Amino acid sequence: MSIRPLFAALAILALAGCAADPAPNEQMRLTAQAVEQARAVGATADEVPEMKLAEDKYNRAKGSMADQSFRNARMRAEQAELDARLAEARVLTLKSEEQLNVLNTRIARLQKQLGAAQ
Amino acid sequence: MSLKSNILGALILAGTVSLVGCAGQQGEAALQQAGADFQKVKEDSNVLRIAPKDVIRAGESLARADRLSTYWGSGSDVVHYAYLSQRYSEIAREHTNQVLNEERAAKLELERQRLQLALRESKLLSVQQQGKWLEEQILALATTQTDRGLVMTLGDVLFDTGEAELKNSANRVVLKIVQFLQLNPKRVVRIEGYADSTGGKQENLKLSRDRAQSVADVLMDLGIDDKRILVEGYGDEYPVDANASERGRAQNRRVEIVFSDEKGQLGAAR
Repeated sequence: MSIRPLFAALAILALAGCAADPAPNEQMRLTAQAVEQARAVGATADEVPEMKLAEDKYNRAKGSMADQSFRNARMRAEQAELDARLAEARVLTLKSEEQLNVLNTRIARLQKQLGAAQ
Repeated sequence: MSLKSNILGALILAGTVSLVGCAGQQGEAALQQAGADFQKVKEDSNVLRIAPKDVIRAGESLARADRLSTYWGSGSDVVHYAYLSQRYSEIAREHTNQVLNEERAAKLELERQRLQLALRESKLLSVQQQGKWLEEQILALATTQTDRGLVMTLGDVLFDTGEAELKNSANRVVLKIVQFLQLNPKRVVRIEGYADSTGGKQENLKLSRDRAQSVADVLMDLGIDDKRILVEGYGDEYPVDANASERGRAQNRRVEIVFSDEKGQLGAAR
């Protein structure tokens, strides 16, 4: 029994892996956009954990791009994009909750005044 | 082949298999979690209504992870796509919560407006009641309902002898009149000045007119439209008491304010 065929198979697989991954420029652009958009609605790494994940992964993706490690770059960028989108969605949901609270407070105040007026 | 290399080969093979197994287990757990999350959003009619695209993407990523899990050595890809699927499910959930909140807010906003309107109406009602109260006060305040209408008399004490200027002690009653006219915007007034019979006719006519005018001026200064105010001076005519006594003369020196009815109809001038 020889282990040489196994090595050969592994080498081919590794080569195939490399060949299948071109530079994910479009994904990097999408991710940058998503991170920017999340930041624009007020998501910060300190307050929204998903934002920290997004920024970390995006930075690592940029590092992988520099290392020509495109497969890693793509996967990190893809995850970072969705982390950022989730961070954005969380912030917007929080804002809508705050708006609900404000409205409820106002309504309670109005009802109190109406009760006092009658 | 030596025994050594055989053992080495077996070790490498075992290591590889265990690595794959590890990744496989990890992928399996991620896949199950993603599948459970997807199931939850898929069964939520609100999520389907509000964020159908995110649900579809969650499903696509999950299918991809599922397909990859049947391939040998693709553990990290399975974990990756399971992660993406989970994220899409979460995003769908968040979008749904946001939109549901906004829909709720829109309903609450309508409720708020309705309450605000009700409050305004009730305040207006209380102002109207206040107006009625003020009207009663005005009526009680030395006014007499004569055939000329509602008449209020400002006595001699509110003026210095021979002067047309209204004294400060008249402020309270003047303010009441202003408030009354503001609450009854259609009512108009005729301000009539009267004098006693001492002194010349012309002088008395002038003084009575000036006194009436000074009352009218104060009302205008306090914001009553001058179109709502008529001014008349009657000199020593129409005495309310005999001019023989000092007391009677004091009664005759007066300014009368004649109020119109609520529609602005004034009784005829004398």
